[in-house]
Amino acid sequence: MLSSNIVRTLYVAALLTVSAVAFGAEDRVILTTMNDELQRNFQALKQKADPAPYFLAYEITDEVTNNVSASLGVLNATRSDHNRYLDVTVRVGDPKLDNFRRVRGERIEFTSGASVVIDDTPAALKKRMWLETDRIYRAAAERLIKIKTNQQVKAADRDQSNDFSSEESYAHWEQPAVVTFDATRWTSSVRDLSKDFLQYKDLLSSDVQVSVQSDNRYLVNSEGTKIQHGRGFARVMITASAKAKDGMDVQDFDSFEAADPKDLPSNDVIRASVKKVGAHVEALLAARTAEPFVGPAIFSGKASGVFFHEIFGHRIEGHRQKDESEGQTFTKSVGEKILPDFLSVTFDPTIKRIGGVDLNGTYEYDDEGVIARPVKAVENGVLRNFLMSRSPIDGFDHSNGHGRRQPGLEVVSRQSNLLVTSTHSVSNEKLRQMLIDETKRQNKPYGLYFEDITGGYTTTQRSGPQAFKVIPVIVYRVYADGRPDELIRGADIVGTPLASFAKILATSDKQEVFNGYCGAESGSVPVSAVSPAILISEIEIEKKDAGQDLLPLLPSPLHEGGQ
Amino acid sequence: MKVAPAALGIALAASLLPTLPAAQPDAVLDAMHAELKRSMTLTLNQLDKPYFLSYMVDDEHSWSASATLGGLLSSNSSTFRVPRLRMRVGDYKFDNSNWTGANAAGPRYDLRSFPIEDGNPLVLRQYLWLATDSAFKGSLQSIARKRAALRSVTVNEALPDFAPAKPFVLMHDFIPVKFESSAWTDRTRRVSAVFNDYPMLRNSLVEFSAIDSLHRFVTNEGTEVRVQEETGGVEIQVSAQAPDGMIVRDLETFYTRDIAKMFPEEDLVKSARAISQQVLKVAAAPTGDNYTGPILFEGIAAPQLLAELLGRNLYISRKPIAAPGGNPQATATELEGRRGVRIMPEIFDVVDDPAKPWFGHEEVDEEGVPELPLALVEKGVLKDFLRTRQPVRGYDESNGRARINGSYGADTPLPTNLIVTAREKSSIADLKKKLIDLIQQRGLPYGMIVRKLDFPSSATVEEARKILSAAGGGSSKPLSIPLYAYRLYPDGREELVRGERFKGVNARSLKDILAAGDDSVTFNYLDNGAPFALLGYGSGSAEVTVVAPSVLVDDLELAKVDDEMPKLPLVPSPASEPTTTAKK
Repeated sequence: MLSSNIVRTLYVAALLTVSAVAFGAEDRVILTTMNDELQRNFQALKQKADPAPYFLAYEITDEVTNNVSASLGVLNATRSDHNRYLDVTVRVGDPKLDNFRRVRGERIEFTSGASVVIDDTPAALKKRMWLETDRIYRAAAERLIKIKTNQQVKAADRDQSNDFSSEESYAHWEQPAVVTFDATRWTSSVRDLSKDFLQYKDLLSSDVQVSVQSDNRYLVNSEGTKIQHGRGFARVMITASAKAKDGMDVQDFDSFEAADPKDLPSNDVIRASVKKVGAHVEALLAARTAEPFVGPAIFSGKASGVFFHEIFGHRIEGHRQKDESEGQTFTKSVGEKILPDFLSVTFDPTIKRIGGVDLNGTYEYDDEGVIARPVKAVENGVLRNFLMSRSPIDGFDHSNGHGRRQPGLEVVSRQSNLLVTSTHSVSNEKLRQMLIDETKRQNKPYGLYFEDITGGYTTTQRSGPQAFKVIPVIVYRVYADGRPDELIRGADIVGTPLASFAKILATSDKQEVFNGYCGAESGSVPVSAVSPAILISEIEIEKKDAGQDLLPLLPSPLHEGGQ
Repeated sequence: MKVAPAALGIALAASLLPTLPAAQPDAVLDAMHAELKRSMTLTLNQLDKPYFLSYMVDDEHSWSASATLGGLLSSNSSTFRVPRLRMRVGDYKFDNSNWTGANAAGPRYDLRSFPIEDGNPLVLRQYLWLATDSAFKGSLQSIARKRAALRSVTVNEALPDFAPAKPFVLMHDFIPVKFESSAWTDRTRRVSAVFNDYPMLRNSLVEFSAIDSLHRFVTNEGTEVRVQEETGGVEIQVSAQAPDGMIVRDLETFYTRDIAKMFPEEDLVKSARAISQQVLKVAAAPTGDNYTGPILFEGIAAPQLLAELLGRNLYISRKPIAAPGGNPQATATELEGRRGVRIMPEIFDVVDDPAKPWFGHEEVDEEGVPELPLALVEKGVLKDFLRTRQPVRGYDESNGRARINGSYGADTPLPTNLIVTAREKSSIADLKKKLIDLIQQRGLPYGMIVRKLDFPSSATVEEARKILSAAGGGSSKPLSIPLYAYRLYPDGREELVRGERFKGVNARSLKDILAAGDDSVTFNYLDNGAPFALLGYGSGSAEVTVVAPSVLVDDLELAKVDDEMPKLPLVPSPASEPTTTAKK
């Protein structure tokens, strides 16, 4: 196994306010302690344990979080937390067959994200690592024995790849990211900004929330990897919701993200967003409800990003290609055309910002200590690659730095920064004209414009339909006869992935960034999706389940004069 | 803050007068009143109308930290408000409660946290307005479904659904406590460093928490309560692994209602050392054998035993109406139906006295009913039960003991300061002598002394489940396991043993008490309603003090634990090896 010492400039230092502590050996106490205890446990287990482990890794995630939120000018929560979680990986058997073998969708869960001391006290850290290693080793050995039995009584898996890839090891150290939370500024900002929602009298709830977090990760393994890296996450979230007369809940959401809170937008920019969200919700209350529809549509860049994340990104996560319970939409499609020629899709955790926006899915090393790198998943419409952790699949023997997790869960391959690029791009105006033309060609009275999508979900399991649903919040009808666009509410997009891709006709020439958090087996991980707007010749929407709740019976105390 | 019993009388008298203006301005209380008044006009078509509504809003200022081996695991301080409302539609005889579907949800209004600032009182009201609207609609669904269910099931005994209560007013000002949280964080860290001297410990933890809260409660019946409540505690936990793999634990707790004066550091250090040494002794001790015979509960074990067997059984549970085919989990409490019956030897009296300025002190319960002293057992005869506003067989009035959330929308009664006294007392030496006499009469090789029970328990959920399932279900809850159990041999020699659990011990064993000590031991704990008062479980908790003498109890059974034991770690403890490169 190669060992490369990577010395690099500390970009984190440029992005974040770094503490003035001198760069010294004492700063490495966590990493050193982890490595000492790892070696001690690994050597002892190799001698005494049967079956012996062939790989051991420790990861500590240090999270400092500050939150403040307000509603209608009044604070409703403030919170600061500092936590450290320990994740231990023990692999017994050998790389060909070990305790992480996927068995028909069975959930693999050894680590627990045990709380460890936030002080740098070696004795306490070591004790926890020792006890966790013992617990997890036993569970690992037990599962390996079960798997071996299972292998003998079941038909062989179609995918004959190994359970663990061999990778380079890395040594990297940088100052821990320290994010400064200006409590005074943000407390008064959320109070002040949230007050603007008072003028939207039909809102039932609204909120402006700021969250500032540092995430530092320490990783060592028995192959010699020693990594300490980290970054900051700052976020402003603006939400408002109301209930329409027919009982349907309507809401809108906007957010701003930055690696350093200093780069969050000014209050004026956030205020404009509060205004937009408030106005959207009131407009949605007055809007007519969507009718089932099949026809052409434009997805804004943000909406398209979410669309690609859900219907494409999750299906090229490597581990799904070898799990017999997965739908495996694209498993056999490498080298085949799955998108129109003019589209390419790359996942790139090394890009830090696009169009002045910091990307949420940026990192230097993944949670298996593999260096981050760009992955060209689709080139000119042809599927080339999967997102890989250290769990190989047929034809893809190595990780490409996409093994990720939330503390406490096992690593699987996950998305990072999804980038859609296009060689058939036109201006937004032209794209709109193309939508109108397509609408006329199909003899439809209107096409749809999806301006904003909060999120969506998709089922990739074989037992369910290979379908997706994205939940748009701001959708307009764009009439073919030139009438003004009309906002509608309660339209859910439904469809199947392969059918939808073939129908992309063109894109705009302007990229938009969607930053968010993605939830899957390995928990919530920060991601982004960057895409131009896309024109699709056919999309299907269904009516949203509205519920039948009545509006509140009494008038709001805010607007009845408050007697 | 703490008022003498006489002040309770004044408060009662005040309740007959129109509501007095609060001495301290309180925007939250004003908002609660305003929305309460408005909400009582809620009406929807010809459906049931609200007849009872209560709002509770507690301001909580809390501080906590935990540490092990001199390193901090976490440290938190937070300020938040906890709102709770109770809506009843129909009338006192028949409403939406006491049935398994009592908590039907109304519309979700995306309510976030209750505002923690009073800048705009209308925003406080906005929250209550939406929460009340949702509760009203949920209550209408509940009562409708309850009526529907009653078309297909019959109820043996028709009790009213809610007991009326006289309006009660108790208004105190709030004087924020200046709590030195960073001093306590440092202290927690220092106390935990003691464990470094005991490398054979498996896990260790010191945790402090302090809460300064303002409790507000108003009802449409005219009850109005505002009281400041403080609770502070330090919990010290240790565990060790015996050579056969058995994990043994110990827990020492310190509790107070005056968080400005928590505990001297040297006491905590002493206690951390003491339980570290003790748990290692227990780990090294031989395992016990099955035993049936008299057991002496000495020291803290006596009030612990009485908290479990008596304190947690002094109420009558009401079985909710179930939807057809449903089978609600409501087991009768062990003392139910035994009013007027002798449940303990004649030498015992038991009172619950909330007025005593101890840990269990409280003036008013969760339902706004004043808490007055109660004589529960007189000369061994059960005289009364702890009651809430939920009518139960034989009772339709609360005596102010609604203390924690129970199931199906009701509260669970718990004692405040439970005082067990004996009219005849023996010295501890005499109790031991009695124990030896008994075993000799019966030809037993030794008797047993229990000096501490695992109550409240620091067990894991898995371990608690094992103990519950080993008890084999049935109507009685198993007693907590003994932490410190000793064999007492006829020659007076004592031998520590481990790995035993009580078998079949329940409230009926109270009758088998043979004698009481001349001591009086105070035991403070937080009761969260969970089995063994498992730390960190249950929803909410109540401060309880139990005072009791040591007791010698006959015919108890201890059984040897035969669970599978975890193996010893393959790798030796890092603490047992010389330190390598990492230095501080």
